[in-house]
Amino acid sequence: MKLRILLALLAAGFPGWSDAATPEAEPALSWWGYGELNYDRPADHPEEARFDLARFVIGAGYRFDEHTRLQSELEVEHAVSSSSDPGEVEIEQAYIEHDLRDDSFVRVGLFLIPSGLLNENHEPTRFHGVFRNFVETAIIPSTWREGGIGLQHDTANGLKLQAGVTTGFDLSKWDAASSEGTDSPLGSIHQELAQARAVDFSGHLAVNYTGTPGLKVGASLFTGGAGQGQAGFAGAKVSLWEGHMRWEVRTLELSALYARGRISGTAPINMRLLGSATLIPQSFYGAYLEAAWRGLAQGDLPLTPFLRYEQFNTAASYADLGPGLTPAAHPERRALTLGLDWLWTRGVVLKADYVDFTDSGGGDRLALGLGYEF
Amino acid sequence: MNRQQAAALFSTPLVVLLAPAPLAVAADYLTVAQAQRAIFPEASAFEPVTPQLDEKQRRALEAAAGPQPPHGRLLAWRVLGETGPLGFFFTDEVVGRQDFIDYALGINADGTLRAPEIMSYRESHGGEIRNAAWRRQFARRSDGTRLRNAIDIRNIAGATLSCEHLTAGVRYLALLWQLALQPAGPRLP
Repeated sequence: MKLRILLALLAAGFPGWSDAATPEAEPALSWWGYGELNYDRPADHPEEARFDLARFVIGAGYRFDEHTRLQSELEVEHAVSSSSDPGEVEIEQAYIEHDLRDDSFVRVGLFLIPSGLLNENHEPTRFHGVFRNFVETAIIPSTWREGGIGLQHDTANGLKLQAGVTTGFDLSKWDAASSEGTDSPLGSIHQELAQARAVDFSGHLAVNYTGTPGLKVGASLFTGGAGQGQAGFAGAKVSLWEGHMRWEVRTLELSALYARGRISGTAPINMRLLGSATLIPQSFYGAYLEAAWRGLAQGDLPLTPFLRYEQFNTAASYADLGPGLTPAAHPERRALTLGLDWLWTRGVVLKADYVDFTDSGGGDRLALGLGYEF
Repeated sequence: MNRQQAAALFSTPLVVLLAPAPLAVAADYLTVAQAQRAIFPEASAFEPVTPQLDEKQRRALEAAAGPQPPHGRLLAWRVLGETGPLGFFFTDEVVGRQDFIDYALGINADGTLRAPEIMSYRESHGGEIRNAAWRRQFARRSDGTRLRNAIDIRNIAGATLSCEHLTAGVRYLALLWQLALQPAGPRLP
């Protein structure tokens, strides 16, 4: 009987008693992944409703020895990637990580920049709403990664310190004829280690504290040259800093973030672009407050309503070009997002939300989504 | 303690059950003996035990434990003090995001928990659960069979999977204690 029970446990894959003398295993290969399926219906333009397999990501890790491991993720965006389709195939992360001590490691390769609450934790089960919030998309580029070297040190009292030297932005990629730079100034000039220009390197520093259960508070700074040695772009520089906090107490989760970026040395470049649709802004910023309530939770399957208020401006100012030539700052966008997340089962989330832009710029939308992570 | 010594310590009459293939050890913070001393410093002896569950109990455990991450090797000891039994000591492995977290838990004779210890953590993300303040949330709790991450146990933003999975593992061990080990005899949840 007992043997049958144990075999049943084995068949169920449930935890059970083990012989500690199990032979030592070889270094292991591991797999993981996440994905997002989204339906988006603009309130003012329902004819533009879209249903999209927004992301399909497969990750692979390999442990070379006790202290050295590979982390990698391959992503397909928008289902099909070809010359006539909107999709992209991207390496989202690919780096080697090596432990220096029990509390410190170095990472070399293509990795996510530690900025904000979302960039390093962007899987759909880890944020509220169908889409990533506007601030951590338009101001802090979404899934922002660079190539280089990074260090992380964790202290016993809950401090995490991260620093690194990496590739940076390439301002010569700015497309003044498109609106991409208005959607996300830094997102339009990032390089993602695709034959990235590496004349100018950047540095980053991030500090986070999680020593008090339920509280996370932190800040980061990224700065570096963006001219990349290209003619006409000398002196261009990008800086982005942000501060953030999340407080989780019982069924309430409160988050706040402020981010501000600056592109300096843009005046001579914009002079050459005068008359184009999109000039390079000098400053941009964004902030949000978010409250989520897990009061409807049952077991480990919470139904979580949330409310998020965001203010952001992707072109808050331009470098002075002289009277009559300096572009006017864009109006600030203000968005209120009300939504509901339902953790269908462990690792699978269903989402619904409505975005109401409270300014006059339009853009309200209804969205439904399915996300997973394993 | 090296691995051979640890294996000798483990060479107990435990039943073989296969788990997901264990990974090579990376960051080891505590051996079993060190975790035993950390959780039950007043103990005088640790006796290996093999809890027994019948089919009904197993089903009850599975239903009550809620969503569980993949588990690895699970071991248990009865903890003895100078004046009698103190409780039980467990070691378990639960997947964080991709690798196993090895942890130890103590359950007192009255069913209250002692703060878990992280014995090995192999990932660069989520290691914040080693923080003592987070682990202390489990200490002295009598509702171990019902614990929920982010509600009963405060979550660590950026380490959510590790928090969720360790909390689920503790819930499983508390239920196992209730069904198979508690001095008052088995009780279905």
